[in-house]
Amino acid sequence: MGWLHNRFEENLAITSVDWVLNWARSSSIWPMTFGLACCAIEMMAAGASRFDLDRFGAGAFRATPRQSDLMVVAGTVTFKMASRIRRLYNQMPDPKYVLAMGACTIGGGPYFKYGYHVVKGVDLIVPVDVYIPGCPPRPEALIEGLMRLQDKMKRETIAKKAE
Amino acid sequence: MSDTDIHSQREAPPGTAPAAARELRTEEMLVNMGPQHPSTHGVLRLMLRTDGELILEAIPHIGYLHRCAEKIGENVTPVQFVPMTDRLDYLTGMNNNHGFSLAVEKLCGLEVPERGHYIRVIMCELNRIASHLVSFGCYGMDIGAFTPFLYGFREREYILDLFEATCGARLTYNYLTIGGASLDLPEGFVERLAWFLDYFEPKIDEYNNLLSFNYIFIKRTANVGVISAADALAYGLTGPCLRGSGVKWDLRRCVPYEIYDRFEFDIPVGVPGGNAGIPPEVVVGDSWSRYYVRMLEMKQSVRILRQCLKQLAGGEFRAKVPRTLKLPAGEVYLEVEGVRGQLGFLVVGENKPIPRRVKIRGPSFCNLCIVPHVCRQVLLADVPAIVGSIDVVMGEVDR
Amino acid sequence: MGSILRKVALPIFLIGVAAIMGIAWAPALLCGTVDSMRDDLGTWYKWDLRGERPTLTVGNIRQYLEGSIEGQFAPAAHVRFGHSTAVAFAYVLWPLQFRITRDVLAVVGVVGFVSLFAMFAIWWERKVAARMQSRLGPMRVGGWHGWAQSLADGLKLLQKEDIFIEGADRPLFRMAAYVAFVPALGLFIALPFSAAWIARDLDVGLIFIFAMFGVGVLGVLIAGWASNNKWSMFGAMREACQMISYEIPLGFALLVPIMTVGTLRLTTIGDLQSGGFQTWLAFRNPFLLAAALLFFIAALASCKRAPFDLPEAESELVAGFHTEYSGFRWALFFFAEYAEMFAAGALAAILFFGAWHSPLPAAWGESWRHGPLWQQALHGVVFSGPLWLIGKGIFFVYVQMWLRWTLPRIRLDQVMYACVQVMLPLAMLVLLANTFWEWLVPSRSVLGMAANAVCTAVGAVAVLAIIGISIYGFVNRRRLVGTLVVKHLPGA
Repeated sequence: MGWLHNRFEENLAITSVDWVLNWARSSSIWPMTFGLACCAIEMMAAGASRFDLDRFGAGAFRATPRQSDLMVVAGTVTFKMASRIRRLYNQMPDPKYVLAMGACTIGGGPYFKYGYHVVKGVDLIVPVDVYIPGCPPRPEALIEGLMRLQDKMKRETIAKKAE
Repeated sequence: MSDTDIHSQREAPPGTAPAAARELRTEEMLVNMGPQHPSTHGVLRLMLRTDGELILEAIPHIGYLHRCAEKIGENVTPVQFVPMTDRLDYLTGMNNNHGFSLAVEKLCGLEVPERGHYIRVIMCELNRIASHLVSFGCYGMDIGAFTPFLYGFREREYILDLFEATCGARLTYNYLTIGGASLDLPEGFVERLAWFLDYFEPKIDEYNNLLSFNYIFIKRTANVGVISAADALAYGLTGPCLRGSGVKWDLRRCVPYEIYDRFEFDIPVGVPGGNAGIPPEVVVGDSWSRYYVRMLEMKQSVRILRQCLKQLAGGEFRAKVPRTLKLPAGEVYLEVEGVRGQLGFLVVGENKPIPRRVKIRGPSFCNLCIVPHVCRQVLLADVPAIVGSIDVVMGEVDR
Repeated sequence: MGSILRKVALPIFLIGVAAIMGIAWAPALLCGTVDSMRDDLGTWYKWDLRGERPTLTVGNIRQYLEGSIEGQFAPAAHVRFGHSTAVAFAYVLWPLQFRITRDVLAVVGVVGFVSLFAMFAIWWERKVAARMQSRLGPMRVGGWHGWAQSLADGLKLLQKEDIFIEGADRPLFRMAAYVAFVPALGLFIALPFSAAWIARDLDVGLIFIFAMFGVGVLGVLIAGWASNNKWSMFGAMREACQMISYEIPLGFALLVPIMTVGTLRLTTIGDLQSGGFQTWLAFRNPFLLAAALLFFIAALASCKRAPFDLPEAESELVAGFHTEYSGFRWALFFFAEYAEMFAAGALAAILFFGAWHSPLPAAWGESWRHGPLWQQALHGVVFSGPLWLIGKGIFFVYVQMWLRWTLPRIRLDQVMYACVQVMLPLAMLVLLANTFWEWLVPSRSVLGMAANAVCTAVGAVAVLAIIGISIYGFVNRRRLVGTLVVKHLPGA
């Protein structure tokens, strides 16, 4: 949540302020172009004409992690790539979210048993907000995952958590 | 990995930066491009030694997508391995399935029925068109034209609809399995494919007008990254990269497999500029030629598909494959004309259901080897143009 | 609910535009009222003013409004207010007589306009890009076609963490965004939206705007340097090279109309084009038409728009000079770009394409200018007013967006080649040719009028073609766009 998180006491205006801030954050998700493998093609298809992610405000794919809020890890994570993923995640400014797209990022996918170079799930490297199953997930599944992420964003609050 | 020698007095290869840029010496910089980068197709990392904007040396670092495909091949049966072949060159799942199935069938001596052959050719050519549409779109995006990407994906959706109706999947099909195709073509497929071919063929001309013959595009890609025919053969290039350099070599025509000898189609190759509607700046073996060969190949695929539809036979679509297929002792190495080049599968059997060794020759891996040779003395903005025209998919490079 | 909104969307939009124009017009009207009050009272009281307007107190104004000045002569249409209304109005009108209040109001208006326009342009670019790519663009944020998308983007960027890179020069890093943003706003001070709607009518207005374009380069350079990132530095160096080089053909192209008109003052240049479509400067002779095209292309390169968008070349440099900027700092660069786009378009309109006048000659509506308020408003809409300048500016912005999403990117050495070896000689030739033309060919001669007629015909054909193609595309939009009409397999 960045610099607004956990700052304010609960009071009357919090829910309205929360609503506005959450609305802004969920309506303007900027993903980072981070396609690794086959799921990247479906992510590109989700941004293309038929499934158009831009309708949700999430169509402005930024190439640099500094300007993006969402890292869609689309494709298999390997040991060699893992440190890069962590580095890119660290470079993103708060508030940031991660979408694990595809079976490989959830738990290794089809490479679970014999893949010696495959990280069995990207949540071993970065904290994941929404998992999208499929191999590869259809663009509609990616859009549903995005909408679940929007729901998750809408439940956040800038109030201090009770002890 | 590089044989560059910036201090040598040798003539700069054709298609490099103007002499004025080469003479101006400034400080050298080591710049890293990738592995996360919108221009490299997947997780390719290029280490560039640059002198201002001029590239002195480009070294590809691969292995970021090594998913142990060959190790998996040693532990599962061929039928279980077919879905893993989908994920090699993930844009051309059908072709990968096809190649592996052919290798296993040759080892086991299986005979695929007629309809199975035609279904295979239809699916392979459709996938060729779909993959070339992606490479057309991504190449346009690399050069800076954002819109062809969307148009390519728009046409691709119609092809993916066909695939989805047939086997249920849009990208990783697991359809052309050992013995033929795993399911029959659905009802209405033939009509819908005929409609698509009629709809799509004029679009290729439209996209040529939009991008291929666009003045700025030609300026960016013609005479850039020229690979001579001798170099191409020496480095083991295959596919559109080789044909773009003028070498008329296509396995479908030269070493026919499947039923490709029943079809009439041309092999497009790169030609020098100035004749037959080719822009005058174009040199054989430059990025534009490689790109244009792909556009022409789409037309030829449409031609093959129309002939397939006419000749499509009825009957069985899959050979009778025993439940546990025992691979006899021996080895088979078989190459097919994949979309990016010659895709080869070596299957070594030892009288067991599980092969002893599966080796995959990924065409993109061999095509990538030319990058250090060709990305010398070019400008920084030419690197995406060259790498995009070679059209690598990292799934195939790293396996 | 959605269908009802769709039907009333256009009326709501028109009412909104009218409301905004009214809100912008009201202070100007009130200032006019105060000035006439000052003149009246100065004359009546015979204050010794030595030619200046008097400064009134609140009491003076209240008395004037109530009509309670002793022996006051009252013009026929003078409205008398009651006491409390007069007091309230007096307090509102009193500050408006000072120069400083008017300046502050002008600046507020300018900043407000630029911010509103930038937010509109960001949304519109995504919609235009989407429609050209057979997609839909933002649809959900705020309801009707995602109109609140820019608002959501801005609010989200405010919530982002302010990242500072290790090794980056902090003061410079912060300053770069401001140095890029302030000139883009500042040039609107001298940009006239109409003969009366200008914040500061400078004698050297054109030079001032040109200078502001140049200062923006500094911001980009500082941003690239201060980011401690090789890629940003690459972008900044390319940017400097490109923008500064293209300012030369830009300057030459600007000199051509200045030489024809003989003044740098933008309001004068605008007033000279009030006689209808054929008096627009671009259509006076073919050299001015060429200068207009050269100006537009050079301005494209100055604003770093495609096909000259190398500094932001995503596929090569990740994000160019603003790679390391996040949150609202980055939004400032973004805003500055759209502000400059509009400024370039508005400048092209003022210098070449009739400024704030419509294609109809202003003389036809002369009587409306002195009539009641509603007639004056109608005159502004039909004949000449700020809406026309904004409309022309928006059209040129649309052309810039159109080019961005159609053309590929030009490589840096080709950009420099085009500048130095193609555009610069051309611009010089055009300037020289126009010099001789202005010297030798009087505008009333047969040759002059023939050239005028030919260029006007060319312009008219172009405008009609654009309108015709737009109507054709709109009417046939379902057929021309592919995937929005999806055909399924039988049984699916």
